[in-house]
Amino acid sequence: MSSIIEVNHVSKEFKLGQLQSVTSAFRALVTRNEPRRPRSPFLALDDVHFSVQEGEVVGIIGHNGAGKSTLLKILSRITVPSKGNVTVRGRIAPLIEVGAGLIGDLTGRENIFLNGAILGLSKKQISKKFDEIVAFAELEKFIDTPLKKYSSGMAVRLGFSVAISVDADILIVDEVLAVGDIAFQKKCLDRMEDIIVGGHRTVLVVGHNIRQLERMCSRMLLMNRGRMVLDGDPAEVCNRFFQETGQKISSQAAAGPRTVKPVIDLGVVRLLGVHLVGSRVDDVSATIPIHSGMRVRFTIEATRRIVRPEFVIGAHTIDMVYVFSMTSAATAVTDLPEGVSEIECEIPEIPLAPGEYEISMAVFDQLRNMLWGANNLHPFCVTPGDITRVHDVGLTHLKCAWHIRSPGRSDIVDPACASDVLQASANGVL
Amino acid sequence: MPHIATTLLQHRELIWALAIKTITLRYKQAYLGVLWTILRPVMLVLIFMLVRAFVGIDSGDIPYPILTFAALMPWMLFQEATTDAVSSIVNNATLIRKIYFPREVFPLTAVVTKLIEFAISICILVALMLYYHVPPTIHLLWVPLIVAYVVLVSLTIGFAGAALYVYSRDIGSILPVALSLLMYASPVMYPLALVKRKLLDERLAGDWSEFLYTVYTANPLAGIIDAFQRTVLVGTAPDFGALIAGAVLIVTCLPLSYILFKNAEGYFADSV
Repeated sequence: MSSIIEVNHVSKEFKLGQLQSVTSAFRALVTRNEPRRPRSPFLALDDVHFSVQEGEVVGIIGHNGAGKSTLLKILSRITVPSKGNVTVRGRIAPLIEVGAGLIGDLTGRENIFLNGAILGLSKKQISKKFDEIVAFAELEKFIDTPLKKYSSGMAVRLGFSVAISVDADILIVDEVLAVGDIAFQKKCLDRMEDIIVGGHRTVLVVGHNIRQLERMCSRMLLMNRGRMVLDGDPAEVCNRFFQETGQKISSQAAAGPRTVKPVIDLGVVRLLGVHLVGSRVDDVSATIPIHSGMRVRFTIEATRRIVRPEFVIGAHTIDMVYVFSMTSAATAVTDLPEGVSEIECEIPEIPLAPGEYEISMAVFDQLRNMLWGANNLHPFCVTPGDITRVHDVGLTHLKCAWHIRSPGRSDIVDPACASDVLQASANGVL
Repeated sequence: MPHIATTLLQHRELIWALAIKTITLRYKQAYLGVLWTILRPVMLVLIFMLVRAFVGIDSGDIPYPILTFAALMPWMLFQEATTDAVSSIVNNATLIRKIYFPREVFPLTAVVTKLIEFAISICILVALMLYYHVPPTIHLLWVPLIVAYVVLVSLTIGFAGAALYVYSRDIGSILPVALSLLMYASPVMYPLALVKRKLLDERLAGDWSEFLYTVYTANPLAGIIDAFQRTVLVGTAPDFGALIAGAVLIVTCLPLSYILFKNAEGYFADSV
């Protein structure tokens, strides 16, 4: 099968710095000085090579500046590569940024026709799809109002509705799923998935919402500093990405004291230190075998006595999904005296799937007013132990036992059951 | 040339939509609206009339106001189409960074937009012709060809200018100056017949007269304005002798200008 997109050893070079003005160039010539600073080249893409088959949904992830958007721009012909070439067989609908070309002074109706034309739809096609577009954007009432009177969400909805109505063999999507409110985002996602499942469309999507991408894509590419680092199964690529992100964060933690940026700080409580204590926990990057426990110890200084305080300790993923939080409210906590105290929360078992997490903490007073609260206080890493293959769907990993009963056999227990794993890690086999 | 025509045909709906957008936007919040299209040449005619009262320009049999108005119509079409075509890429930077379609759509749109406004100023010309009792003749059929030629001249400067403007914003300052100089070097305030008489009949520059006349008519606008006045006001065919030098220049430069534009277009998104 021939591939619909072929990217052959593509590089893209940008010149950094500014063009010199004629006067400064002339002055340099006269005074025989070297030009102030040579414009150094910067490789936004470095020998990227891959191909995409028809019907594949490919997600491209990577940190900022990894070259994802440059790659999409080259694929949609907005810019040309410095080296290598790109072959695309089929019509491309680039949704690089929805709403590019929306004009504030025009009405919604005029904008639909203009934007449709920009995206390559004929007037006839737009007229045919007009009602559908308006209905999808939920803008029936405002369609003859100038766009500048729209809320930003409304404008984005309009842009997305037009963009999604383009029929093309290849959809190129850059961060467009982060539009509108949650309800509209859900609608967009459903529509995207309809397109993916329904048509034989090839989709290339770039985003930072890794979990969303993992669910949508059949294949993922991981990029870093202009290079293609990994190309494969979404779960594998996402794990690697989180691992790298985690390592980056840990190395930042190791590099120096992390500055704690409280979300709320009423000046009553000051954090002096966070320590994770438990099996195989060293303080820089705490690694915790799956299903084992840990203790989180905080040293705080109170500037005044806090009557019946409440402490909340939680964990969140690197992309800020809260996975659990425990409050001390149920426990009888004595008043916190002025001065330094140590608070420890013991978690006998952490039922998290392997990955990188962060600790968060908050202190409340007796009226449930938050006195102090912060995220990203300490990284920790849950390791898979000796489970060779963890099916990474979901954030948690619960202990369970399997019982499979079929005629002729009874009580067959799956050997890869989690209780065995627990046994293994308790034995220290890692 | 066939390339440009293909783009024009394939993207006619987009070009039309963009042109309508430009015109709608220009007049949406202006109380005088479309009237401005008419007011600009009319005001220039008034200024020229004032100047003429001091200098004394021989306009032949044709009333001076309608003569200059007929000169200003193709001139302003050229001037504004060229200016807009040159700045079209830079002005559409947001679109260029985000969506691909052939980039010549932008200069073409600029020219089409001006053609629509040109159509509006025809009304004034008709009114003036009625007022001064200038009868229409069969030679009016030349007008579409002349207008098409103006478009080609604008595109010749427009393509190369637009590509250069992306890399050097100096173009934005040079162009208006160059164009207003070119206006005085074109038979807008005075008729071409005057230049012809001074150079070819009275041989004002001696042996250099023929050469200077060729140089003068190498400015395509000289032949164009004269042709427009002849076909509309005098009722004769264009003076091809005055057109040839400019046409040769345009036929040579338009392909070069277009090639320059096409070679640069891949980098517009990076630099604009």
